[in-house]
Amino acid sequence: MSSAGSVRPAENRLSQLVTVLAFALPVVFVLVPLAIFLGYSFFSVDQGTIVHDLSLGNYIRFFTDPVFPRVFWNTIVLCLSVAAICILLAYPAAYFLTTLKGRWRYALLMLLLVPLLMSYVIKIYAIRSILGLNGFLNKALVAVGILQEPSTLFVFNMNAILLTLTLLLIPFAILPIFLSLERIPQVLLRASDDLGASGLQTFLRITLPLSLPGVASAASFVFVLAIGDFLTPQMVGGISGFTFGRILYSQFGTAYNWPFGAALSVALAIVVIAAILVGERFGRSRGTSI
Amino acid sequence: MSALPRPSTIFLAAITTLVAVLLYSPLFVPIVSSFFTVSHGDVDWSSPTFATYVALAENHDILAALRTTLIVGVCTVILSVVSGTLLALYYHGRRAGRSTLQFIIFLPFLMPPIISGLALLIFFREIGLERSLLTVVIGHTVFVLAIVYRTVLMRLQSMSRTLVEASYDLGATGWQTFWRIILPNLSSAMVGGAILAFALSFDETMITILVTGTQSTLPVRLWAMMRLGFSPDINALVALILMFTVLLCVLAARFLIPKQMATQRN
Repeated sequence: MSSAGSVRPAENRLSQLVTVLAFALPVVFVLVPLAIFLGYSFFSVDQGTIVHDLSLGNYIRFFTDPVFPRVFWNTIVLCLSVAAICILLAYPAAYFLTTLKGRWRYALLMLLLVPLLMSYVIKIYAIRSILGLNGFLNKALVAVGILQEPSTLFVFNMNAILLTLTLLLIPFAILPIFLSLERIPQVLLRASDDLGASGLQTFLRITLPLSLPGVASAASFVFVLAIGDFLTPQMVGGISGFTFGRILYSQFGTAYNWPFGAALSVALAIVVIAAILVGERFGRSRGTSI
Repeated sequence: MSALPRPSTIFLAAITTLVAVLLYSPLFVPIVSSFFTVSHGDVDWSSPTFATYVALAENHDILAALRTTLIVGVCTVILSVVSGTLLALYYHGRRAGRSTLQFIIFLPFLMPPIISGLALLIFFREIGLERSLLTVVIGHTVFVLAIVYRTVLMRLQSMSRTLVEASYDLGATGWQTFWRIILPNLSSAMVGGAILAFALSFDETMITILVTGTQSTLPVRLWAMMRLGFSPDINALVALILMFTVLLCVLAARFLIPKQMATQRN
């Protein structure tokens, strides 16, 4: 609005107000909290009160403690596995969608995306009841004869976290892969066919390479969402399913060590930023980014 | 895509079906449970009942949490749509500092919610703001702002500059142009953004757990109850929320998908 030629004083004052707001809002409510948070990671706790003296103690503790680096690494491996499984399931589904014609294509896409909007907490609860000792999965496996008796393989451990996160995050993998597949020019596929390539050759040499940017974005989405989650591990992890998110959350609850929790968050943030940058880097190449 | 040989089509369709089953089974279980009695994973198909729905209507805890969620959602929508639209109008067509500020707006959406939530928690403590519904609303607004901003900005960018120029040529003031040209053109993007903001706020759990005071929203309340196991009336609630969610989806799609595309598709 300030680009208008002649502005009256009232409008001028308004546009100044908007300018101030436009800069102040993001800075005050996003940047300042993050900066304070970063600052906290250099503080320490003494007998339940926070000492505002800068030190690297929290970071040294993180790297030298036998527990934290191991849980951190295990969590990264877990979330990479979640991303890999999501992509293995999402790629064929997204590919199938692009083979459909017209309105079916988008109707089915919507159908696969609707579960995203369904309450996260409720889905975790329902998945827990499916995976449980008396759950539907164990009932089905016993009925089919794969298992002799209900197994504790899927409940309150790392497997349960892996399965639950995968189920929750598949739609986040489908969308970017679908978009990158849909963007591949049809003429390339026809040209490949005309030149005598088989269906498999066309897929391996044309479709797959051109859809890799979508796969990279999908992997980075799923990884970031999985590693930032503490609800799922808390609900389905049990005692043996300990992830970094849970440790982080406990620092602000039971352990009451905010500065150390902040330092753990910085470690988490670094991994997240790295994952986003890698996703961007490969998602942007070949000009088919989202 | 070119026509596929039959076996691979069958393989792909099978995987897609598997994915659909995986995605819908956690929704299906509570809905079935809301009409039938389920014990130890066995459904008793013989006696369909509405008892859980009746029990839900008498569960004051859950109804209070639902009301809190709606209050938070409405406040979040108002704040995020007003500030998101202002920011989009301000940054649109302006170069200085735009990409930096845009990046800052997107940070809470990109960062894991636990980091955004904890940063806000410490911030509120430092400025002496007690944890309450106000802090929850601020948390939600900061989280959903990027979505509203992006929705409105995309509409602004696709809007023809000539409309505004024509309005000025015809002697309209800045205000008149804003109310009569720009706002009506943005309105459907704003409504779409508002629906998305509401849907995100309705389900936001991780930030809320960290910044809420004594009052909890529905997801937080459910999360707390889950440690003990749900009572059957929660299944009724799930069924109702699912219907509500699908309705929101359809509405958002109506407002956000451009009209030409919609007609093209039919």
